[in-house]
Order: sequence, then C-alpha cells, then structure tokens
Amino acid sequence: MQTVFSIAVDALAYGMVLFVISIGLSVTMGLMRVVNLAHGAFAMIGGYIASYAARDLGLGYAAAVLLAVAGTVLIAIPIERLLYRRIYGAPELTQVLMTIGITFCIIGIANFVFGPTLKTIPLPDTLRGSADLGFRSIATHRIFAIICGLLVAAALWFLIEKTAFGIKLRAAVDNAAMAAALGVRTEFVYAVSFAVAIGLAALGGVVGAELLPVEPYYALRYMVTFLVVVSVGGAGSIPGALLACLLLGAIDTTGRYLAPEYGEFFFYLAVIIIVILFPRGLAGRFK
Amino acid sequence: MAASMNQTLAAGAPASRNIVGSLAGIATIIVIGIIGYYLFPNNLALLTRIIAIALLVLSIDLVTGYCGVATLGHAALFGAGAYAAGIASAHYGASDPLLMTLIGALAGAVAGLISGLIILRAHGLPQLVLSIAVIHLFHEAANKASSWTGGSDGLSGIAPTALLGLFEFDLWGRTAYIYGLALLLIVFVLLQLLVRSPFGMLARGVREDPLRISAMGASVQSVLLRMYVISGVVAGIGGALTAISTQVVGLDSLSFTLSAESLVMLVLGGTGSLYGALVGTVAFMWFEDVVSAANPFHWLTMVGALLIAVVLFAPRGLYGTAAALVQRVKGGRA
Amino acid sequence: MKKLITATIAAVVLSSAAYADTIKVGVIGPFSGPFALQGKNFKAGIDAYFALHGNTVGDDTIEVIYRDVPQPDPAQSKALAQELVVKEGVQYLAGFYFTPDAMAATPILEQGNVPMVVMNAATSAIVTKSPYVVRTSFTTWQTSTPIAKVAKDAGVNKVISIVSDYGPGVDAENAFKTAFEKEGGEVVEAIRMPLSTNDFSPIMQRVKDSGAEAVFAFLPSGPTTLGFVKAFNQNGLKDAGIKLFAPGDLTQESDLPALGDQALGMQTTFHYAVSHDSPENKEFVAAAQKAIGNPAELSFPAVGAFDGMHVIAKMIEATGGEQDAEKAVEAVKGLSWTSPRGPVTIDPESRHIMQNIYLREVTKADDGSYFNKEIQTFEKQGDPGLEAAK
Repeated sequence: MQTVFSIAVDALAYGMVLFVISIGLSVTMGLMRVVNLAHGAFAMIGGYIASYAARDLGLGYAAAVLLAVAGTVLIAIPIERLLYRRIYGAPELTQVLMTIGITFCIIGIANFVFGPTLKTIPLPDTLRGSADLGFRSIATHRIFAIICGLLVAAALWFLIEKTAFGIKLRAAVDNAAMAAALGVRTEFVYAVSFAVAIGLAALGGVVGAELLPVEPYYALRYMVTFLVVVSVGGAGSIPGALLACLLLGAIDTTGRYLAPEYGEFFFYLAVIIIVILFPRGLAGRFK
Repeated sequence: MAASMNQTLAAGAPASRNIVGSLAGIATIIVIGIIGYYLFPNNLALLTRIIAIALLVLSIDLVTGYCGVATLGHAALFGAGAYAAGIASAHYGASDPLLMTLIGALAGAVAGLISGLIILRAHGLPQLVLSIAVIHLFHEAANKASSWTGGSDGLSGIAPTALLGLFEFDLWGRTAYIYGLALLLIVFVLLQLLVRSPFGMLARGVREDPLRISAMGASVQSVLLRMYVISGVVAGIGGALTAISTQVVGLDSLSFTLSAESLVMLVLGGTGSLYGALVGTVAFMWFEDVVSAANPFHWLTMVGALLIAVVLFAPRGLYGTAAALVQRVKGGRA
Repeated sequence: MKKLITATIAAVVLSSAAYADTIKVGVIGPFSGPFALQGKNFKAGIDAYFALHGNTVGDDTIEVIYRDVPQPDPAQSKALAQELVVKEGVQYLAGFYFTPDAMAATPILEQGNVPMVVMNAATSAIVTKSPYVVRTSFTTWQTSTPIAKVAKDAGVNKVISIVSDYGPGVDAENAFKTAFEKEGGEVVEAIRMPLSTNDFSPIMQRVKDSGAEAVFAFLPSGPTTLGFVKAFNQNGLKDAGIKLFAPGDLTQESDLPALGDQALGMQTTFHYAVSHDSPENKEFVAAAQKAIGNPAELSFPAVGAFDGMHVIAKMIEATGGEQDAEKAVEAVKGLSWTSPRGPVTIDPESRHIMQNIYLREVTKADDGSYFNKEIQTFEKQGDPGLEAAK
C-alpha cells in the first residue's frame, strides 16, 4: 500500500512538472493554431537566462525566474513580429518547417554562446533538500513545481474563460475576420497571447530544470514529450492538458516502476490507446 | 490539415502534355544522375545516401502530399526495409542484392500496413502523435531484439554479393550508386503512373474532401491504407538500398529524427508533387553536407536559416514555388 | 575483381602519397547536436597534441579533416569515412564516439589501406572487426570491472544494477555482474531503463524495495546523469546508507559543476581523471584547456584523442609517410608510453589499450570547484570484455 502511495506521489509530481513546461504550447497550438515546435527552444532560453542571472549575476531565485520570463518574452517579440506573423493561418506543414528552422537556429546560437555543458539554476535553501511525508521523502522542489502548476492552471483558466481579453481571444481564434469587424484588434490579441505562451514556456523551462536540465539540445530532446502531452489533452484546453499530464505522468511512472525495461512500450501504447479512444483529445476545444 | 495543402500542381493539364512532361522529367533525373557520377566521382557514397533518402521522401509524399496524412513516423517503413534486408543477409545468407531489395520492399509494405492501421485512426494533430508513438514503438522493438538487430551497436555483417553476379559493391561505391539510380528511376516511373491512375486521383480526392469521396461510395479508409502499403514498398526499397550500400544498419534508420528530417525535406521541396520530393531531398542533403563540412561545429544554425528563408520566400517549397512561377510566366504570355 | 580494385586503389593512393608532404587524418565525431561537447573534446585533445608536439613528423605535416556525425548513424559515418578516404585521400581514420559509427567504417579499412584509431567508442568487439583497428580510449568492460572489487571491499554483498537500455549499458551490467559474482557478491536485481528516462523517482522506489545495500549504475555521460544522481539523493537513498557505485561516465568532469554537492563523495572507476597528478597530465591539461576555450568543458574524450594522435604520429614515423596500413598498425603493436592518464600499452594481441583504472571520489577543491580525486589504482588493466565474448 505504501508503495502505491509512493508511486502516486511520484506520478503527481512528474505530471505537474510536465504540465508547467508544456502548457504554453497548448496555448499556441490550441488557441493560436500554430504548431510551435520551437516551444522547447523558448523554454531553454528561459533556463539559460535564469541560470546566468542566478550563477553569474548572483541574483536570487525569484528574481532569476522573473528575469527569465521577461527576458524570454523580450527576445520572442521580434521573432514573433518578423517570423511567426507570417505563418499564422499557414498550412501546418509550413509552420512545422518554420518552427523547426527557428529551433535549429536557437540551438546553434545557444551552443555558440553558452557552450555545450549543462547549466543549472541554483535553488534557494527553502527549495533544496527533501521534505518528509511520513511514509517517504520527496524533493521540496517537486512540491514547489506542483504548486506552480496549480497556480498556472488556475490563472490561465481565469484569463481565458473569465476576462474580457479571453473573450476577445476566443473570438479572434474562432473567426478572425468577424472578430476584427467587431472591433477586436486581432493582431494585438495574437501578440499578447504569444507573449503569454512564451512566458509560460520560460517559466516551465526554469521550474522544470531540476528534471530536464538546460543544455543546447534541450529544444529538440523534449519536443516529442511536449507535443504528445498537449495533443493527448486536446490542444487549447487547460483542464485537458492538466488531465493529460496527470494521466501520462501516472502511466509513465507506474510503467517505469513495474517494468522499467518496457517503460517506453508502456508509455507509447498508452498514448495510442488514448488517442484512438479520444481522437479530439481528452477535452479538446477544436478538432 | 487536409484542406490546407491545396498545391495540386499538375491538375488540369492535358494528358499529352503530361506524358511529354514526365518523359522530360525522367530524362532530367538520368542526366543529373550521370552528371553527379562524373562531377563527384569521389562522393558517390553521399549520392547513394541521397537516393536512399529520396525514396523515403517520395514515400512520405505519397501519404502526406497526395493523401493529406500527417506523419512524423515514416522512418518506421524505411527502417523495417533496412533491417529486413540486413537480417536476411547477416543471419540467413540471403545476400543477393536484388533479393535483399525485394525483402526490404516486402517488409516495408508490412510495416506500412501496421502503421497505417494505427495512424489512420485519427486526423490532424492526434494523427501526428499516433505516428510519433508508432516510430518510438518500432525503435524500441528493434533496440530490444538486439540478438537480431544488434541493438544500439548496429547490425553489421551484411555482405551483399555482386550485383547480377557481375558487379561488386566496392569502396568507390559505383555499383551501389548506379543500382540506386536504377531503383530510383524505376520507382519514379511507376509512381508517376500511379499518381495519374484513377487510384491516384481518388487519393487526391480523399485529401481534398474525404466526405465527398465516401459519399461517392468509395471507402476513404481503404484508399488510404492501400496508399500506405504502397508507400511502405517505396520506403522499404530505400531502406534496403541503405543496407546494401553501407552494409550496416543502425537504430537511427528507425528514429523519430530521421522521420522528422525527411518530412522537413519534403516540405522544403514542396508537397504533392514527386519532383518536389526529389528537389527537397537533394537540396537539403547537399546543403547539409556542404555547410557541415565547412563548419562541423556550428552548421545547424545555417540549416535553420535555410528552412526559415524557404518559408519566407518560397512558401510552397522550392519546387512548388518555382513551378508556380513558371506557370505564371507562361500564363502571362498566353 | 575485388583484388584488382584494391590493388588499383592502393597503387593510386601510394603513388600520390610518396610525393605528398601533407598527411591527412580524417576525424569523425559528434561535433554538433546533443553530443557536441564530446566532439569538442576530441578536437581539444588533438589540438593539445599539436601544441605540445607540433604537427610535423619528419618531413611530413599532419592535417586533420573533421567530419560531423551528430548522433549514432552508421550509414552517415560510413559515407563520410568513404568520402574521406576516396575524395580527401586521408591516410588515417580516427575519432568515432559511437560504436555503430566505428563498426560501420571498418569494412573500408582493408580496401582503402587505412588504419583506424578509435578515440572513444567503447564496445569491446570493435577491434575484432578489422586487423587495422587500434583503440586508445577504454571499454565499458574495462572501466566497470574494478568497481566490483571496490564494492565488495566496502563490505557490500547485495547490489542492484541499474543501466540504460542500450549496448554500453548492457555491457556495464554484464561486466559488473561477472566481476561482482567472482568476488562472492550477489546482484539481486538488474534493471534496464530506457535511454529517454527523465524521471528516476520510480526507479529509486524499486531500489528501496529490492533490499540491496548498494546500487551499481551506468548512464551515458550528459543530462540524464544529473537527474539520476539528484533522484538518488532526494528520494532518501543516500540518507538510508545505500551506496552508489558507477564507472566514471557518471561523473565526467564537464558534468561536475552541474552535479555539484549532489555528487560529493560518489565513487567511480575510470581510466582518466583531469586531476591526475603527473607532469605529463599537467602539460596536457594546460594545453587542452587552452584549446577548448572553457576549462570546465574538458573531459575524458580529449585524452583518448590526444593519445590517438600520439599513435598516429608513431605510425607515420614508422611508415615514413607512405600509406601502408599493415606496417603502420604493426609498428604500434606493443607500443608503450606515458600518457596523461598514466602508463599505457597497446596490447599486441587485441590492439586495445592496456592502462591503469583508477578509483576516484568526487571531492570539493579549495576554490569551491569539484573534481574526481584518485584514491586507488588498479594497474595494467586489459579488456575483460574480449575474453568474456570468447
């Protein structure tokens, strides 16, 4: 029984870390309908900035996180204006080509600027070490990640479902021409949503760095994981993504405990079954 | 996904012009092949590799360009062909290159059937995810079956005998190159016929409007599945060619990376046209070879820049955009 | 037919080499992509060799041509090797980080009359694929065997083995198991986990449930080792007194700044530590750190490359710059010298390098950096993997 609890805790922690890292992609893919394969690249930029701020500038963890989010968004703005704006509404394969191109460039530049070694983001003392849950111990940082995930989920849900901006965003996505005719500045709405998505990517890159360490190839290494999580949840759905992360986290963790040598089989067979059962995602807004 | 790729290039042209056009196309391939042979006599290994990958990209074009199926797992078909041909030679002594090619084609067809059955269960993004899952399962299966496949160390010990009993596969790679070129030509001609056949038209119809095709009484699913099997044959031949020419097969031939890269090549050249697939492969691999030899450390940035530039300046792919341009110039004159 | 072609090539290449003063060496390695760091170390090792010993042998100048194979890709490796031999006219092939890439290029050697110097790829069988292969790195068997004795000496009897599920991982598992059982210990469970594993918590739970006193682990050097070591500590295994033993891939120097305190006290066995105390190594490290730019990036592939160039220089010396693979390889069989890692010998039988394997402990230096401190030496270790395969 204790083992079951223990695995459940691991699954929850892993799932929430996945959620924090990939939720930004759900926004770009589901709400803006851009297959943004460069999501991981932006998460990586966030990680690098935080690492630089904390290690080389000696800033605190909170400041590093803020700087990472702000810095990544700042870097993303010209990229959005020059490149992404050209592929809104373009065929998906064109988007794939463009965003893979951007990813390659960012990897190359990161490798050049920061070198190929792993970069860590030093944690404050409060997040270091382990917490005792009574029946087992868990890294304090995982608890922090779980809380981050829940906060992000709640904030995003509120933004999209309850605010005026959310209404405009959904209108712009459903029918851009009509929304524009009704006075919604769709370009502005898109730019802001893109910034939010990138900010989330950067946050995920920093918070998830304990599990997925920052290095130049980060951008491609975890691309598949992000893509799978978002699609299984149903792109654009916050509850769907949350559900998918928890479910896939549970499957992955259990598989790795029971039969590590077949972990990969377990995971991808489960993905196939879920996708076939829920072809629109666990809670997809769109087809 | 389906409706967004309306780049039917040859549609509507009169039949006679089509035949002239395709003959000209075949002649072009032969000429370029011969030029390649004489211009780069020391680079035949690379050229052979380009041909093998071109077969894979053609195979993706069949399902993606002509049927609108999104896949990031097509290397499964290629790798199945490569491993089957390799295992036949390394474990069973079936080392005749023609036989190995046949075995590769068959294995590709089977892999096409299996992945088709899975991938065709969804559309759009979920379909992409299914294809990713499929390629990972294939990859992991090959890694697990290491007594057959050599696992991550690669399958070695493949020793193809002389082609037709006459031509050895030597260091210079001449035999492999000419054999590959011949395979490519045969496949290309057959595919030209295929995409213009009623079946090929039906496939295009499925891409444009699946609902209407099923209303007409045709089974969308069976059209797609048949195309998947055919595409498996093509990819399997490409895989077998790799096994024959390099005499070793690695897990990379069943990897997500190869799948994604070859899809990139297809989009680069232009989907929905066989020429686009060829142009994309040659352009991408040639460019990669040049920049990675020029700077082995930082060439990835250059490739990325190329992809971005293509999207910005040739949004229909290199061939697609060029063809549209030619069409417009012609239209202007008429 | 085959003989005729070989003879023609040999004739063509020989005649051209007799006049040429430049001897080309083709180096294939991962210079971009996820393993770019290791390729960078290849280059640093080679540059360091030239910096210390010059790039001339007699009248001949050595020129190195680099070709990139970012990830294991035998087809690409073979195509590039072929291009290097046929087009660039290289007299030596070297580098090779991954086993399949090295294996793929071996059939070329005899036809092209070219020796291959493997600077990293660590599967035992590579040297058996062609008589023209010489290896200056290590094998996973070689580095994983001594740790079994270390574990036993530390009073451990029950060990759980955890390895990444691919060739080298399986090698490590077998090597440790064989050696540990010989010592009288027991491997209670052997887990192979997928290479792509990110979250190791469930694995740590398995360790707890197994009742083992220690873990033997093998993961390829790089990002995943960080997650593994962290998971080991944070899930309370370290506090529960469970020991962690591994070959040095887990604590390569370039990963140490990231691992930091987490790795403190970890014991690993390996053929080279950047901290190795000898005049040869001081000289090498200074040159290699200068070559690589960022001193923190220096790691074990550099020493394999450095010694690889030494072997190639000896080969050129023996053949007088002529292209003669047989003579070249013959000349370095039994060659002994003092490498930065200590005394080494090319075993005349296997053409693999015999060397000391060191037990090291991750230690904090006075300046706050971390290093592998050598605390025990296992002298003149051959490759047990070749014998095990027999």
